[in-house]
Amino acid sequence: MDVVEKANAARQKRWTKDRKVGEGTYAVVYQGREAATGRKVAIKKIKVGQFKDGLDMSAVREVKYLKELAHQNVIALLDVFSSKTNLNLVLEFLDTDLEMIIKDRSLVFLPADIKSWMAMTFRGLEFCHRNFVLHRDLKPNNLLIASDGQLKLADFGLARDFADPGYKMTCQVITRWYRPPELLFGARYYSTAVDIWSVGCIFAELMLRTPYLPGESDMDQLKTTFRALGTPTEEDWPGHTKLPDYVPVGQFPKTPLRELFTAATADTLNLLGKCLIYEPRKRISAKEALSHPYFFALPYPSHPSKLPKTASQLAASRMAEEAETNVDMNGPGPAVKAAPPNRLKRKMSGDDIGRSVARKLDFSQPAAA
Amino acid sequence: MSSAGRSNAGGWLRGSAIRKGTSSNNASRSLTPQVHSTSSTVFGGGVKDPSGRTSEFFSMDDQCPVCKSDRYLNPKLRLLVSSCYHKMCESCIDRLFTLGPAPCPICNKILRKLAFIPQTFEDLSVEKEVSVRRRIAKEFNKRREDFPILRVYNDYLEMVEDITFNLINDIDIPETEARIAAYRKENAALTELNTQRDQAYVQALKEQEEAEKRERQLRADELRRAEEEERDARENERRELIDSLERSDADAARLVRRSRADALKRAAARTAAASQAVQQSSAMLLRNRAAQSSTVPDVPHVPLQDDWYAYDDKYTMRETYVDPASEAVRRDREGIMRAGGYRVEEAWERALRSAVAGLEVTPLVGLEPS
Repeated sequence: MDVVEKANAARQKRWTKDRKVGEGTYAVVYQGREAATGRKVAIKKIKVGQFKDGLDMSAVREVKYLKELAHQNVIALLDVFSSKTNLNLVLEFLDTDLEMIIKDRSLVFLPADIKSWMAMTFRGLEFCHRNFVLHRDLKPNNLLIASDGQLKLADFGLARDFADPGYKMTCQVITRWYRPPELLFGARYYSTAVDIWSVGCIFAELMLRTPYLPGESDMDQLKTTFRALGTPTEEDWPGHTKLPDYVPVGQFPKTPLRELFTAATADTLNLLGKCLIYEPRKRISAKEALSHPYFFALPYPSHPSKLPKTASQLAASRMAEEAETNVDMNGPGPAVKAAPPNRLKRKMSGDDIGRSVARKLDFSQPAAA
Repeated sequence: MSSAGRSNAGGWLRGSAIRKGTSSNNASRSLTPQVHSTSSTVFGGGVKDPSGRTSEFFSMDDQCPVCKSDRYLNPKLRLLVSSCYHKMCESCIDRLFTLGPAPCPICNKILRKLAFIPQTFEDLSVEKEVSVRRRIAKEFNKRREDFPILRVYNDYLEMVEDITFNLINDIDIPETEARIAAYRKENAALTELNTQRDQAYVQALKEQEEAEKRERQLRADELRRAEEEERDARENERRELIDSLERSDADAARLVRRSRADALKRAAARTAAASQAVQQSSAMLLRNRAAQSSTVPDVPHVPLQDDWYAYDDKYTMRETYVDPASEAVRRDREGIMRAGGYRVEEAWERALRSAVAGLEVTPLVGLEPS
């Protein structure tokens, strides 16, 4: 056994896997513990076998960037080790994600709650951007919530560093509903503004409690966007007609945001509008957004510990409290995380799926009544 | 008025034409099977739709291959399929098979009257495949859990598919039947168990659906009752108003106004009561949320909670730099890089920042300088 293998074995021993909590295309997520302290962790086992030319790209990206980024609003990568042919990422365990909270109809959001989530998102994003990392897959599903209410950016599988001149970047990133128009038009040179657009969409979704721009295809996404915000003119967005995949998708009039967001304050709509400016260079940056009057106006952003929690999260935190009665309340505490059952895409409710299958022709049934 | 009536009639006629059947030159869509009978006859077979009815294939071009009677001559023509997958009309079946088993007029196989099934699919080979698969599925109902490894399960599925294919295409029928019989003898217990499991699942599904239906019914009843009550209340109000107008000699206009106001108030109370359930719960939620808010005080917003930007004063960005690598970007004032939001200044800032980031950082203790 050489030195590397020995070191790896030592690392592996620090963590134990408890149970499987989720499975995606590239990885299986387990809940586990740190052997020494009993702290809960999530272990993401990357399936290496199926990739013919080495490691999966998204795993490489995730390790590459998470290893560099340490911030309270970015998920922490605690360790990396390999077991047999698999690569294992040890991540902070987080209870839930923003999508589950948005979907939970039993929760009521105060304007202060939304402000708090937005501040945490912008803080995490500002940290990535200041370190020249684009997240490129921001959506409620990838904003995880810790048991103490802190919001953390997760899933850096599509992240990359930017600001190297002359390198083309792919425009096939970001989940469609949160994808900015410059990517839909095929821009190969872009910057931090793409993430800001996604945050704008999430901001709107937090207020509406339903996705703001749910396009059915890439083409429809452009149409949906323009229907909501008006078709951009050459003045709004100079040069957009020269983008590689530019196609005219019809003229829609501009409607003020006020018409859809009737209850929002002027500050709120001002910030939202600045996140959803067509011209990427005019779009607000994460740093500027954090100094926007919206965040300073009353009500103050909710304290993270008071933010709405899903039922499962409450149960989890109660269990954690019971299990560890002498926890240091000021410390980071037992960070917990549950991978949502399917992190890949939204689904219709489970009932519908089950039924549609059951109603198919069933050959095993007796023939006639 | 009359034009509306006429267009309506046209619509109805069109609708009925579609419902009645199709002409041959219509698109294939209109030839899809249509629900035709609820088939509780002695005839078996057919494929059931979700409501438990059998859809029967039906087309205007139906013709009995035996007596050549067609839908024009006999509008009530109903074609049934024999166990050898030949069609014939009900009257032919009566004529040929009432006196007991007789040979099929087309292929001479001995047939019985009771073995005719209604036709569901236009293509009889599909009909045959469905019934073969149904039969096979009844016998070969093992599941993945019944096998130790996936490989064995796949082999099993392969065998089932072979048998099915043989039966459908009439290959080695006796041998295949023997295989099925052997399998049946070997796996009788497991097959029985799986059948029971499937039945339990179907039962559960049915119960769930029934419960949903009941609930819907209940809700609809509730709604109807509420509507009736409202109508009665309105009727009462009107009667009261007329009574008071008759009896008192106060100003009529004022009486009407007062009764209007009352009615409005009552209507508001009714809507409030109707949405009370919802209102109450959301009000409760909000109250809970607000109560929670007072325990930990919210603090004013602090944009950044670290001192990263303290390093900003270590350098100043210049207007422009000599940078051949980014020349393409800078020359492209109006083009694709600009519209995409790319800024060359970011590249320069990154280079500068990387250059100064390590200044004044105390070296880690215990590390040897390399």
